[in-house]
Amino acid sequence: MATERVNHKWGMVIDLDRCTGCQACVVACHAENNVPINTQDRFLQHRAYEWIRIERYWEGEFPNVKARFLPVLCQHCENAPCEPVCPVYATYHNDQGLNVQIYNRCVGTRYCINNCPYQVRFFNWWEPQWPATLRNQLNPDVTVRSRGIMEKCTFCIQRLRRGELTVERQEGGRLDDKTMQERNFGPACVSACPTNALMFGDQRDPKSAISPYFADANEHVHEEDRKTRAYRLLEEMNTKPNVIYLKKVDQYPLKLKQGEQNG
Amino acid sequence: MLPKGKILPLALVGAGITAIVIFVSAVVVISWFSNPPFGLGNAPPQPIAFPHTVHAGPVAQGGMGIQCEFCHRNVTKGAAATVPAVEQCLFCHKTATGGAGTPQAAEIAKIQSSFDANTPIDWERVHRLPDHVRFVHEAHVRFFTQGTTLETQLPVGEVCSKCHGDVASMTEVQPKQGQSLKMGTCLDCHRQNSVPTDCTICHQ
Amino acid sequence: MNLTRRNFLTWAGISAAGAVSCNIPFPEAELKIQSPVRLPEDLVKGQDNWYATLCRQCPAAEGVLVRVMEGRAKKVQGNPKYPVNLGKQSARCDAGLQALYHPDRLAGPMSRTGAKGSGQYKAVSWDEALNILNSQLSERGQGLALITEPLRAHLSVIAGRFATAFGGRQLGFQTLDDTSYRGAVKTVFGQDVLPGFDLAHADYLLSFGADFLSTWGSPTQFSQAYGEFRQGAGRVRRGTHVQVEPRFSMTAANADRWLPITPGWEGHLAMSLAYVIIDEKLQAPGVDVGNLTGGRGIAALEAFRPETVAPRIGLPQGLLDGHSAADFIRELARDFASHRPSLAIGGDSAGAHSNGQFNLEAIYALNYLVGSVGAPGGVVFNAASPLPDLPAAAKVGSLADWAGVAEDIRSGKTKLLLVHQADPVHGLPKSMGFRDALAGDNLFTVSFSSFMDETTALADLILPDRVYLEDWGSDIPEPGPGYPVLGFQQPVVNPLSDYNPRSFADILLASAQGKAGNLPWPKLRDFLRESSDALFALKRGSIQAADSGEFWTKLLQQGGWWDDKATNPRPGAAPRDLLTGIAARAVPPAYSGLADGEFHLLPFAHNTLLDGGNAHLPWLQGAPDPVTTITWQTWVEVNDRKVKELKWREGDVIKVESAAGFILAPVYPNPALPPNVVAIPLGQGRRSGGEYAAGRAAPESANVMDLLEDRRVAVSGALAWAGARVRLTPTGESIRISKFEGSSPAREIGLTPSEDIFKTVESNGAAGAAH
Repeated sequence: MATERVNHKWGMVIDLDRCTGCQACVVACHAENNVPINTQDRFLQHRAYEWIRIERYWEGEFPNVKARFLPVLCQHCENAPCEPVCPVYATYHNDQGLNVQIYNRCVGTRYCINNCPYQVRFFNWWEPQWPATLRNQLNPDVTVRSRGIMEKCTFCIQRLRRGELTVERQEGGRLDDKTMQERNFGPACVSACPTNALMFGDQRDPKSAISPYFADANEHVHEEDRKTRAYRLLEEMNTKPNVIYLKKVDQYPLKLKQGEQNG
Repeated sequence: MLPKGKILPLALVGAGITAIVIFVSAVVVISWFSNPPFGLGNAPPQPIAFPHTVHAGPVAQGGMGIQCEFCHRNVTKGAAATVPAVEQCLFCHKTATGGAGTPQAAEIAKIQSSFDANTPIDWERVHRLPDHVRFVHEAHVRFFTQGTTLETQLPVGEVCSKCHGDVASMTEVQPKQGQSLKMGTCLDCHRQNSVPTDCTICHQ
Repeated sequence: MNLTRRNFLTWAGISAAGAVSCNIPFPEAELKIQSPVRLPEDLVKGQDNWYATLCRQCPAAEGVLVRVMEGRAKKVQGNPKYPVNLGKQSARCDAGLQALYHPDRLAGPMSRTGAKGSGQYKAVSWDEALNILNSQLSERGQGLALITEPLRAHLSVIAGRFATAFGGRQLGFQTLDDTSYRGAVKTVFGQDVLPGFDLAHADYLLSFGADFLSTWGSPTQFSQAYGEFRQGAGRVRRGTHVQVEPRFSMTAANADRWLPITPGWEGHLAMSLAYVIIDEKLQAPGVDVGNLTGGRGIAALEAFRPETVAPRIGLPQGLLDGHSAADFIRELARDFASHRPSLAIGGDSAGAHSNGQFNLEAIYALNYLVGSVGAPGGVVFNAASPLPDLPAAAKVGSLADWAGVAEDIRSGKTKLLLVHQADPVHGLPKSMGFRDALAGDNLFTVSFSSFMDETTALADLILPDRVYLEDWGSDIPEPGPGYPVLGFQQPVVNPLSDYNPRSFADILLASAQGKAGNLPWPKLRDFLRESSDALFALKRGSIQAADSGEFWTKLLQQGGWWDDKATNPRPGAAPRDLLTGIAARAVPPAYSGLADGEFHLLPFAHNTLLDGGNAHLPWLQGAPDPVTTITWQTWVEVNDRKVKELKWREGDVIKVESAAGFILAPVYPNPALPPNVVAIPLGQGRRSGGEYAAGRAAPESANVMDLLEDRRVAVSGALAWAGARVRLTPTGESIRISKFEGSSPAREIGLTPSEDIFKTVESNGAAGAAH
């Protein structure tokens, strides 16, 4: 039976207090999404492809020094700055809260990269290449992006679609936190994350672990008296991301002089 | 006022440009209306002359009326409809050898020899979707066979012919006789049936 | 050529025509659709299957599910049921796929034709290769050495009995071996199997040197618990983590507080904490201090008064916040003892000094004082093994053992060397002379590696093993979750036809046929099946089945057997006189290296490449180091102010010199490193193994093991790899460092004071998790 389509709205919550910066999400994303191999040259040119990356920030000086880890991926903004600038509508916002890049529409103007404040879009400067044997690993569910087009995090849309098809269309259930976790329908980074710092779910599903965070964060935009640690990256730009961060708890804060941190 | 001597070369250049424009537009038009990559919708020659008429054609017209999903058995289960394994052909063709000396016997013998030599048969693909399109046969067959309205409670075979044309009546499968399988075809059908047309339904 | 209007138009026309006529070619395969010959039910185009098996990219052997489509492995995911990692994975797990389909995988057996180490081999058939192996075994097998990765469970039995059958020995190789840690666990807890830690329920974690979130022990298991330790649902408050370590490891970067002390003094600090706890009677209720100190009480630890210890351990002034160092130690001890449950762990560099085993013993003994041994939130003991025949503890060789192997080779006692999944030539200090020993003419070396590595390059015969995703296997996790677990590894795909590997275990079993070695199984699978039946006979645990066939199927489906209802081994009472005994063994660290070396060298296992065994996998080479974000190369971390003071700049090539030799590497200014310490990762410096592993020359790729001397940890005989004194001199050259840092100008963070972004939500440090 084709059941009524469930109106999902996907969202992610990243708990910085749990994140250890271990890079498991980064490699899992490469494996799932046919991301080209980041050779040494690409790092030297600052053109490494990391749909999700771990940023490391230094704070203070020896011996009062701390490092902070911040996983950054496409924020899937509701008010995405990348969308209005695309002349061919290759990037748009869909009804599930995803900021989507349509590869076959993209003509490679790179306006979206310039307009993205989070630096999470990647332009294919080269035709992606793998040694012949390594091509056996490529995921048949994900398009290999050719030279001249943009790519970015999709929240592993291919897994979500597979989940919707299997769980909702075929079995008549609902794709929720539990089914995503148990049957690998959630994003690859989330299922890899060893500390459960990344959480993913349906904002409209009241039973989802992430929906309370969104309720709170939506209520308290720009307000200082939040009850939880939730905040969004670059909130002042009003991009309304569908990714929420939970602040790291600093148990022994450094007594820094203003402007001393080097980022 | 142009100097006189320049007029001829300019005319040549103009003619050249016109020729190029015509050439380019011809190529664009041809490739647009053809079912890639086979030119204007011609069926490619297959390694074995497999007649769908004989297998799937109606019994009244001398066919055997085998249902599509009997051979393309994954069509109701998964993304790809799949072509049958050689072993599956032999379920029948072990005994149905076509009669000695007939032209079909030679074709049927190719199945047995492929099986004996353990070499797969490489059929020429007739309908090809580009790499950036995901099409799940199962979902489409289910929509049209298990719906609530009359139009969505069809037998599987009729669902197939919606896109592929009446394959049962084709000796050689002709892509031209079905839908063009361009994006417009998909969208028209999705709209008619109030199915989402979000890009990520098909493009991932 | 002049660009006139005319030839511009000509060229434009030609290129337009060219663009049109050069139609984008379709790959031939896309124009075909294949009828397979047989009708394999699990090989349907477009359908995926998930098979449970074990990951072997790191020694923790996590349980994984592998997505297989049309006979090709596509994705590795943690197995949600497997007790070690509960569905999670490390960065290393995914890369197993690249090992499976690696372009540099050895394509079949090879026999050496040129001189040793020349890299000249000829392909031979398996029959030929096995004939050579068997004739070598009968000719010179007596006294053979079988060097493997640290083995547990079935393969350990096979390799051990195989070596015994030939009168030889089998040893597990670890570059940074954990024998001192094993020794300390034995002394302090009386256990042979490494313990686990109930981090999830601990309130205070004091970690000495152990980089447990990255490479030490079972990182995914620990990370999972660490997430709970931080923000677990139902916790009263967030756990506090203090890391005592001279290097700023990934784990130190995550700690609430990082205490860099002079390398090698961890044990003294731990004893000093014990002194304060006993002195101020902060020990947990019911702890018999008299028993621990032989009845002498605080007098037994008099040498560790904070006032005595503080000046020696080098706590940086800036951390003390106006207190004296001794007061700081007292405060730390009070903190540690007042939180319950609190846990002290130690490893890595803390155990790799000449006094390393003392350090670790002192650290782990602290757990007795706070009552965390065998208690929730504390040290968790692991059962020996669900099946008595299968060893649960890996047998790891110490440096003393390797010296013995090298000596046996030189003296001719060992004439045949078999190597599997170990690269001692790369991983042992040069001064051990392992390379020369292997290059000797009296020795015949057989490597079972699927890839070229430094040891395999010296082999006479190469018999490529199956990659673990193609092979059978098993594991008893160590450290485990505190109850018996036996993980099963099954082949999830067949090898590509280009590769022609054979299973190492099956070759050993076949070669030992007829030998009195008690190896009755024709194949490893038969042995596993036998164990499955034995587990079935136990009639308990995670699998209910009607008969042994169903049990076997379910066992492979689940990826193993475990019994979470089985009781943990009960902790014994603290050994009598434990603290007194440890105090008697206390010695200051004796550093190797140059007497006038200004810096202490701290090598460390790379987050993804580990000791270099993963260096051939491009995903892992390209995964930035968490702290420095450097990829694809070696680096020397030096304190950033020190770098400025010496007028060096990032990327300046530095000659790092010790008594054993020198390496060249670019400098990375690290704001979080004590000025007298330099840190260099392992993992690079491979000279054979294909483009990804060995494609870069010095100074981009250097092996830090070349700097180490043959110095050993007292008692355990392990390599004392930490703290060697080195000299740094600039070479005048400079290279660019390939790092991820700076790739994205993160404007928002750069402009916002970090306290605002990461501010504490509630002043007591407890943050609300979910509502």
